[in-house]
Amino acid sequence: MFNIKQVFIIFIALVVISGCKKSFLDVEPQGNLTEEQALKDPDAAEKMVGGVYNTLYMGGFDPTTFGFLFVLATDVASDDGDKGSTPSDFGSAGEIDNFTFTPSNFIFDNIWRGHYTGIARANRAIDILSKSTFDETVKNRLIGESRFIRALYYFNLVRLFGGVPKLIRVPEPSEGNNEEFQTRATKEAIYQIITEDLQFGVDNLPEKSGSGVGKATKGAAQAYLAKVYLYLKNYQKAYELSKAVMTSNKYSLVRDYNLIFRQNAVGGDGGNNNSESIFEIQTGLNVAKDAVSPLFSNGQGARSKGGWNDVGLGFNTPTSDLVSAYEPNDVRKNATVIFITPTLPANSPGTVLWDGFRIPSQDSVENSRYSYKAYHSILKESVPLDGDKDKRPKNIRTMRYAEVLLINAEAAANAGGDAQTPLNEVRERAGLTPVPATIANIWKERRVELAMEQDRFFDLVRQGRAGTVLRAHGKNFVDGKNELFPIPQNQRDLSGGRLAQNPGYGN
Amino acid sequence: MKRIFTKLSVLTFLCFFFINAASAQDITIHGVVSDGADKTTLPGVSVLVKGTKIGTLTDASGKYAVSAPANATLVFSYIGYDPIEVQVNNRTTINIELASNSQELEQVVVVGYGTQKKKDLTGSVAQVKGEDIARQPVLSATQAIQGKVAGVQIVSSGAPNSLPTVRVRGTGTMLAGANPLYVVDGVINEDIRNINSNDILTMDILKDASATAIYGMRAANGVILITTKKGKAGDMQIEYNATAGFKEAAKLVNMAGANQYAGYLNEANLYYGTGDVLITPTMLQNGANTDWYDAILKRGFQQNHNLSISGGSDKGTYLFSAGYLSDAGIIKTNDFNRLTLRSNNEYNITNWLKFTSMTSFSRSDVRNVNLDAFNIAYRAAPYVASKVDGKYGNTSLSNNISNPLLNLEKENNRELGNRIQSNFALDLKPISWLSFRSSFGIDGDFGKVTTYNYRYLNTGPNNVFLTEGGNQVRPNSALALEDKTTTRWVWDNTVTANKTFGEHSFNLLVGTTAEGFKFRSFKGSRTDVPESPDQWYLGAGSPTNQTNDNTGDKATRNSYISRFNYSYANRYLLTATFRADGTSRFPSQNRWGYFPSVGLGWNVVNESFMANQRIFSALKLRASYGKVGNDLIPTSTYLPLATINKPYFFDGKEYLGISFDNLPDKNIKWETTTEYDLGLDFGFLENKLTGEFNYYNKKTENALVAIRIPAILGDTDSQYTTNAASFSNKGVELALNWASSVGKDWSYSINGNVSYNQNKITGLNGGQALFDANVGGTFVTKSDNNQPIGSFFLLQADGVFQNAAEIAASAQKDAKPGDLRYRDISGDGVINDEDRAFSGSYQPKLTFGLNGNVTYKAFDLNIGTYGTSGGKVYNGKKAERENSKDNLETNVAKNRWTPNNPSNKIPRANLDKLPASTYFLEKGDFFRINNLTLGYSLPKEMMSKYKIQKLRVFVTAQNLATITGYSGFTPEIISDKTLNAGVESKIYPTTRTFAFGVNVGF
Repeated sequence: MFNIKQVFIIFIALVVISGCKKSFLDVEPQGNLTEEQALKDPDAAEKMVGGVYNTLYMGGFDPTTFGFLFVLATDVASDDGDKGSTPSDFGSAGEIDNFTFTPSNFIFDNIWRGHYTGIARANRAIDILSKSTFDETVKNRLIGESRFIRALYYFNLVRLFGGVPKLIRVPEPSEGNNEEFQTRATKEAIYQIITEDLQFGVDNLPEKSGSGVGKATKGAAQAYLAKVYLYLKNYQKAYELSKAVMTSNKYSLVRDYNLIFRQNAVGGDGGNNNSESIFEIQTGLNVAKDAVSPLFSNGQGARSKGGWNDVGLGFNTPTSDLVSAYEPNDVRKNATVIFITPTLPANSPGTVLWDGFRIPSQDSVENSRYSYKAYHSILKESVPLDGDKDKRPKNIRTMRYAEVLLINAEAAANAGGDAQTPLNEVRERAGLTPVPATIANIWKERRVELAMEQDRFFDLVRQGRAGTVLRAHGKNFVDGKNELFPIPQNQRDLSGGRLAQNPGYGN
Repeated sequence: MKRIFTKLSVLTFLCFFFINAASAQDITIHGVVSDGADKTTLPGVSVLVKGTKIGTLTDASGKYAVSAPANATLVFSYIGYDPIEVQVNNRTTINIELASNSQELEQVVVVGYGTQKKKDLTGSVAQVKGEDIARQPVLSATQAIQGKVAGVQIVSSGAPNSLPTVRVRGTGTMLAGANPLYVVDGVINEDIRNINSNDILTMDILKDASATAIYGMRAANGVILITTKKGKAGDMQIEYNATAGFKEAAKLVNMAGANQYAGYLNEANLYYGTGDVLITPTMLQNGANTDWYDAILKRGFQQNHNLSISGGSDKGTYLFSAGYLSDAGIIKTNDFNRLTLRSNNEYNITNWLKFTSMTSFSRSDVRNVNLDAFNIAYRAAPYVASKVDGKYGNTSLSNNISNPLLNLEKENNRELGNRIQSNFALDLKPISWLSFRSSFGIDGDFGKVTTYNYRYLNTGPNNVFLTEGGNQVRPNSALALEDKTTTRWVWDNTVTANKTFGEHSFNLLVGTTAEGFKFRSFKGSRTDVPESPDQWYLGAGSPTNQTNDNTGDKATRNSYISRFNYSYANRYLLTATFRADGTSRFPSQNRWGYFPSVGLGWNVVNESFMANQRIFSALKLRASYGKVGNDLIPTSTYLPLATINKPYFFDGKEYLGISFDNLPDKNIKWETTTEYDLGLDFGFLENKLTGEFNYYNKKTENALVAIRIPAILGDTDSQYTTNAASFSNKGVELALNWASSVGKDWSYSINGNVSYNQNKITGLNGGQALFDANVGGTFVTKSDNNQPIGSFFLLQADGVFQNAAEIAASAQKDAKPGDLRYRDISGDGVINDEDRAFSGSYQPKLTFGLNGNVTYKAFDLNIGTYGTSGGKVYNGKKAERENSKDNLETNVAKNRWTPNNPSNKIPRANLDKLPASTYFLEKGDFFRINNLTLGYSLPKEMMSKYKIQKLRVFVTAQNLATITGYSGFTPEIISDKTLNAGVESKIYPTTRTFAFGVNVGF
C-alpha cells in the first residue's frame, strides 16, 4: 500500500492540476464568428463588405436606407408624388405630404436608424479591413466599396437632416454617450466625409468592366462625386467628374426609355444593369426572401378598391402637376406614370400594362395614377415562390447615365462649357427636339427625366426654390425650416437632448 | 494555496507518529449494538477507540469485536443516533443501546462539499426527507417539496415532464435565469427530472449566503442539494413500492354553450356591429353543442413501480434500484414514460480509503402537446362539432381558428431523453481528523426530438372536415428532427481537517473544482415524409425546402473553495466561506469572481445561565452575511458575433455576407447578490415543539438590464444589455414543528411554515423599464423602479357605465351604457396609455404550508398543504379575444350587463377585444391540499411467515382540493421568465391524482 506521504502528494498534485491549467478558461464561441477571426480571414473580410451592400435592402416599414419609407420622405414631400392610398391610411406619410410632420414622425427615426446601421456596418468593415494584412489592391478595393456606400448614406443624411453625428470608426457602446458622437457635426464636415470617401472610390475602385455586376465602380464613384459637387456648387469639379464618366465609354443611354426599369432586356436594350445603369441596388430571389428591399415595388403598386387582386398599397402616386410637366410627345410620361382609366364607359378594358397585366378602371382602383418605374411584373418578371407581394425583387436604379449627362450639362452651363450636347442627348432619347441649354431648361429636364426616382425634393432644395415651387403646389412649406427634416425626437431623447434640432422644429 | 498544504502535511506526520506510539497491552472487547427504542440490532455502527484511528464496524447482526487498551474509551457512533462514549474498565463484553436523535436540531444536513449538524449551522438550510417526497404521486422531486420549506416558492404544472419554476426567497433577476442550482450527489446541473423520487434520501435547500456562498457565482437563486440513497451494512433489503391511479384536471372553466354563445354574439352585433344575426337559428339547428374542453381532455392513467435491492457489510454497501413511471397526462395524445436505473456502491478498500460510485441512468419518452390547443378550445365556437365519424368540425369557418382536437391529433411531437449521471469519489482518511476527497462527476444528456406534422386537406376527396373550405389546411406533411447532446463533467478535490482542542472545535475545508460543459444540437427538416412512424427519417422526404442546422455551446469553470467552521464550547459558532470562481462565460477581465460569507451562531441554550431552565430545549441565534452571484447568462454574450448569411446579389448570383450588428457590453459579468440573514432556532418542551425564524435582506446589484442606445451606433435593436439594475428581496420566514405521541398507539406531528417576501426594483440605473407579457398585442407587465419585477401595468377598470349621465361625466365620451369605465389617471379627459397604472405582480407576498402526520397503531395518515397570497394573475386567455366570434365563459354570457341586469362588474356583450385593464386581473391567492395519504401496515407477525418485513398499502390523493377565488384553470402558472410571470394563457391545467399504492420490504 501507499504510505501516507505518497497519497498526500498525489492529492496535492490532483488539486494543483485541476486548479492551474491556464488556457482552460479561454473558450471560443462555438459556431459563431468573432471579430478576431474576421481579422485573420480575407474571406470573412470580403463577406463583411457583402454585409455592407446588404444594408441597401433595408426597407419596408422598418429602418430603411433606399427603401419604402425613404421613397415617401423624398418623392411624397416633393411635387412629384402624392401620398396616395386611401385618404386616412398611414398618417405619418400624410404628414410628410402636407409638411405637418413633427420630430416624432417615426419615418424620420427609421430613416435615421437605417442609414446609421449601414454606416456602422461600413465602419466596421473598413476598420477590420484596414487592420488586415492581405493584398493591398484587394484591400483598397474592398475599403473603397465600403466607403462608397458609406458616402451614399451620408449624402442622403446630409440632404435630409443637414449636419448629423459623424461616425467614421467603430465606437464602443460605452463611448456612444460621448459628446463627439452625441452632437451634430457641421454640414461641411459631413460633406467632407462624403467627398473623401467618394474620392477614395474614384482612386481605388475598378472600372465597370473590371468588377462584378452590382459592385461599386470607379464610374459610380465619379458620378456620385460629380453630383455631390453640384450640391456644393463646385461646378468645375462636377463638370470634370461627369465628363470623366462620359469619356470612359463604359456607359450609354438605353434606347427605349420604357425599358430602363424592366428586369429583362428587350433586344439587348434596357433591363437590369443596362448600359445606362451606373449604380443599381441588386435584388434577387432566395429561400429567405431577404435579398430585396421590402415593399419598394408593392408599396407603390396599384391599390384595389375591391373586386380584383391588387398589386400594391398605392403609395407615392404621381401628381397631376408632374403629368403636366411633360411636353407633348415625351415618351417618358407614359413610361413614368400608370394612368387608371375612367369608370365610364362601362366595359372599358382598364389599363393594360406592358406585360399584359390588366388594372380595372377607376371604380375598382383607389388612386388614378401610379408609378410605373416601381412596377414589377408578376407575369413576366421573377417573383418569390410563395408569391409574397412585399418581397418582389425590384432592382433600384440610384444613378443612371442620363443623370450624369444632366449633371454635366448643368455644370457646363455654370462653369462654361458645352451644356447643349449632353442635354440634347437626353431629350433626343425622350423623343424631343433640342431646347437651349439654360439652367431653367436643365432643371426642368431633370424633373421629367428623374421623376419618381427620389431626387426631386433634394433638387428643389438645392436649387433654392423648394418653397416657391412647393407652396405653389399647395404645401405648407416654410422657408428656412422645411429645407431640412427634423432630427428624430427619439434620437434626441437618447442623446439626452444634446442632438440639436433643426431650426423651426422646436427645441 | 501550496503553503497551506505544506503546513498541513507537517501536522499530518506529527500526529501520525503520536498515534503509532500509543498502542500497548490490548484486550479484545465484544458486544452487540442495538436501537434503544425498538431493540433491533444495528449493523454498520462505527466503534472507535477514542483518540486513535483504531476501530471497526458492527456486522450484519450488530456484533463487533475490537481490541483496545483495558483503560480505553470506546466511541459508538451511527448516523441518525447520538454517539455514546463508554469506558472499557477491563470489561470484555459491552452491549450498547443507541438513542435515535430524531429531533429536528440533531439533524445532519448536507451543506455542499460536506455535511453538518443542524445545531452547528450558522446559515439557513432546510431539509426534506426522501420519504416525504416519494409519498406523493408527482413526477418531479421539486414539485414534491412544495409547501414543505419556508421561503421556497414552487410553481408546478400538471404537464408530464415539465420543469417546475422555483424561487428561493423571491425573484432576484430580470434577464438572467432565475431557477436554483441543483447538485445531485455532487454533480451540478439545472434539471433534475431524471431523478426518481424513490432514490432520494434527502433534499437540502440552502437559502442564505452563509450556506450558498460555497457555490459562489451560481448560488444567487438558492441551491438545492440532492443526496441519493445508499445501501446499509447488514442483510440484503429488497423493497418494492408502487402506485397506480389516474389524473384529471383539478378545475375547469365553464364555457358558454351554443345557445348562450349565439345570444351573446347576436346581442353584441346589434349593439356594436352591423346588426345582422351573426349566429342564425339554422346554424344552431344544424350545428352541435360542443364542450371543447371535453373534446380535448381525458382522464389519464398513471403508474409508478420501484424496486430496490440494497445491503452491505463492513467491506462496502450496495444499492440497485429500478423505476418505471408512466403518466398519460390529461390532454389527449399527451403521454409520458420514464425508466430509471440506479446503482450506488461504496467500497471500503481499507479502513482509511473508501471508493464510492453513484450512477443513474434515465430514459424518458414524452409525447408533448401543443398548449395552443388548450387556448384554442377556449375560443372555438360551441356550435361547431369537434369530430364526428372521423371528420373534424371546421372551426376556421366559424371564427377563423383551428380545430384544437385536430391540432393535437395531427401533430406528433416526441422527445426522447437518455441521461447518464455518475459520481465517482475516493475518500481518504489517513488520520482521524484529516480527510481528502476527490470526486469526478459526469452528466450526459442525449436527447432526440421528433416532430411530425400530418398532412390534411380541407377540400376534395381527402378532406378531413365535416364541411369544406376555411383556412386550416396542411397540404404537405413535415418532419423535423433534432439530436441534442449535453455533457458536463465536474471534478472536485477537497481536504477537510476536523480537530477539537478542549472546548475549541475546528473544521477546515479547502479544495478546488473544475468543470466543463458542452452542448451540441443537430437539426433537420423535410416535407412529404410518409405517415408511418417507420418512415420518419429525413431521407424519406422531399429535398425541396429542406432545412438543416447545427449549433453548439461550450463553457468551462475553475474554482477554489474554502470553508472554516469554529465552535467554542458548543455555544459560539463561526462559519466563514470563500469561493473564487473562474469562468469562461465572461470576458477575461471579468473572469474571476470572489464570493465570501461569514456566519455567526450562539447556542444560547448551552450557556450556564440556561442550565436550570426547563422551557427551552434548544435556542440558537444566527446571523450571516455573504455575497453570491448569478451567471445564468448565455455564453459569449460579451463578444460581438457575426450574423451570417446576409445576402446580396453580384453578377445575378447570391453572395452571402456577414455583419456584426449587435453591440454587446464587452464588460458583461455575473449579477451579484449580497445577503444578510438573521435567524433564531428554538425548541420547547424537550423539543416537542421546534422551530425556526429567519429574517433576510437580499440586495442584487449589477443585474442585467437593457439600456437604449442611440441609433448612430448601428445596433439593430438600438439597445444593449449590461449590468446596471438593482433589486431587493426582504422577508421573514417562520417554521414550526410539533411532534408528540399520546399513549402507546397514537403519535402525531404537525409542521407549518409561512414566509413573507417583498420584492422591489430599487434602481434601473439608466436601464429602461422593461415591458413584457404580450397579450393580444399589448404588453401587460412593466418592470420599473420601485415596483416588483414583472408588475402588471394596466388601465384601471372602474365598474360599468349604467347610463348616459355617467358617460357624460367621464373621460370616455364615446362610450355606451354597459361599457367598462376606466379611471382617468392622467386627468386629461381621454383614456389612453397614460392612464395605465401599476397593479401588483404575480409574485406572492405570502407562501405557506401546513403538513401533518398521524399514526394510530398500524394506520398512518399524512397531509400536506400549500398556499400563496398576495400575487395577481392576469386572465390572458379571456383578454386575448382575437376574433369577434370567439366563445366566452358561461359566467360572462350569463351575468353580463344588460339594461335589465345592471351589472357593475361584467360589461355588456361586445365583439371587440377589450383594452388591457384590471378587469382581467384577479387575485392569485390559493390554498390547496397538496397530498392526503392514508396507509395501513400489515402486522409484522403475520408477514414474517412469508419472509416479508414490511407490507403497507395506501391510498393517496394529490391536489385533492383547492380553495381559490381565481376564475381560470389555475393560479399556478409556470413561466420561462421573471418578467412575464402570471399570465394565464396556453397553460397546462393543474391536475388532481388519485392513486392506490403498496410498499413491500423483504
